[in-house]
Amino acid sequence: MRKLLFQGIVSIGLFFGAWYLLMQVNWMRILHIQQATDKVQEELGDLFWDVFKQNDLEIKDVKIVQAVDSVILSICSANQINYKNIKLHILQKDEINAFALPNGHLIVFSGLLMHTDNVEQLAGVLGHEIAHIELDHVMKKLTNEIGFSVLFSLTTGNKNPELVKQLAKSLSSTAFERKMEKQADIKSVDYLTKAFINPIAFSDFLLKLSEKDGPINEYLSWISTHPNSKERASYIRLYCKDKKNSFKSVISASTWEMMKEELK
Amino acid sequence: MSFKNTFTYLPEDHEAEAASNSYLMSLLFIMAGLPLPIVNLIGTVIFFFSNRKSTYFVRWHCTQNLLSQLAIFLMNSVGFWWTISILFTNESISNKYIAYIMVLLIFNLVEMITTIYAAIQTRKGFHIQWWFFASLTNLICKADKS
Repeated sequence: MRKLLFQGIVSIGLFFGAWYLLMQVNWMRILHIQQATDKVQEELGDLFWDVFKQNDLEIKDVKIVQAVDSVILSICSANQINYKNIKLHILQKDEINAFALPNGHLIVFSGLLMHTDNVEQLAGVLGHEIAHIELDHVMKKLTNEIGFSVLFSLTTGNKNPELVKQLAKSLSSTAFERKMEKQADIKSVDYLTKAFINPIAFSDFLLKLSEKDGPINEYLSWISTHPNSKERASYIRLYCKDKKNSFKSVISASTWEMMKEELK
Repeated sequence: MSFKNTFTYLPEDHEAEAASNSYLMSLLFIMAGLPLPIVNLIGTVIFFFSNRKSTYFVRWHCTQNLLSQLAIFLMNSVGFWWTISILFTNESISNKYIAYIMVLLIFNLVEMITTIYAAIQTRKGFHIQWWFFASLTNLICKADKS
């Protein structure tokens, strides 16, 4: 019996010992797996972006793009986020919507820019989407929905255009898991606080959208993809309580107004 | 690790053949059932039950083989479902996963080599005892009362 126990312990120890030792090697780097995964993300991002590019008009007006870009730059530089990883695209569309695609593509509809009351509200939404990018929620959502094997096949020859369209639509019109949305909300508040942007404005924006009686009712895409806005607004407010309260404006009021004028 | 020993009695030729076949059967099922880990176990279990009333030598080797296949099955099952979760859920590849698959490959290879060796040697009538599994088999498989 003693012999049996000894041999059993040695065998189990051998198994876990070998596993532990092999775990110390950075196989991801040696086998270039991270590079391959990044490549898949890059290809997917381009595929999905092509779908939107073909169907909607991209706004390239310098005043508009620079204004939104300045907000993103402020958030990124205050939070050690690589600004170059965020690829901003503003599309001419009345829907109030913004969403992230793989490989850091951030799509903002002109409807969102039109219906945000101030730059802080816009920063809140942008911070939320940047958080989805930084926390890798986009790829997690996609792999959860169809699995990595299908995503991989999309980038390696089997470019099924219908599936690409469906997935692109899903990314723009369906919510992430509740947990991920909350994570992105909280992260956005952290981003804004570090960038000296008032995060309460983000909560105000969610509350505004949840009051569906307004004239903006028909364009409420972001609210349909981000449900439970009232609840979210209240936990954001609660989370903001302990945060600092010295803020600065990311862009001047005149730049904000000029951007709005250009959008009309 | 395996040891060549003498059995409590000298097995007859038909016993050596049946014992050897139990090892061969598991090898055959491994090849047929890859990458599903359950298949080799099913093959071994069928062979084990069909030889349940056989002689001590045959039963002993069927049991040793079954126990080793069970251990391999448990290890492979973890690897199999881990791979499935990477392919079809949001689980991602990590150093931990790659290391596990490598350990699996090593253990499966060792198991395959020792199984081939055991199949050859038992056919010759030798009693092959594997590290740990032989002791476990001695505990489970008792000699005929006669």
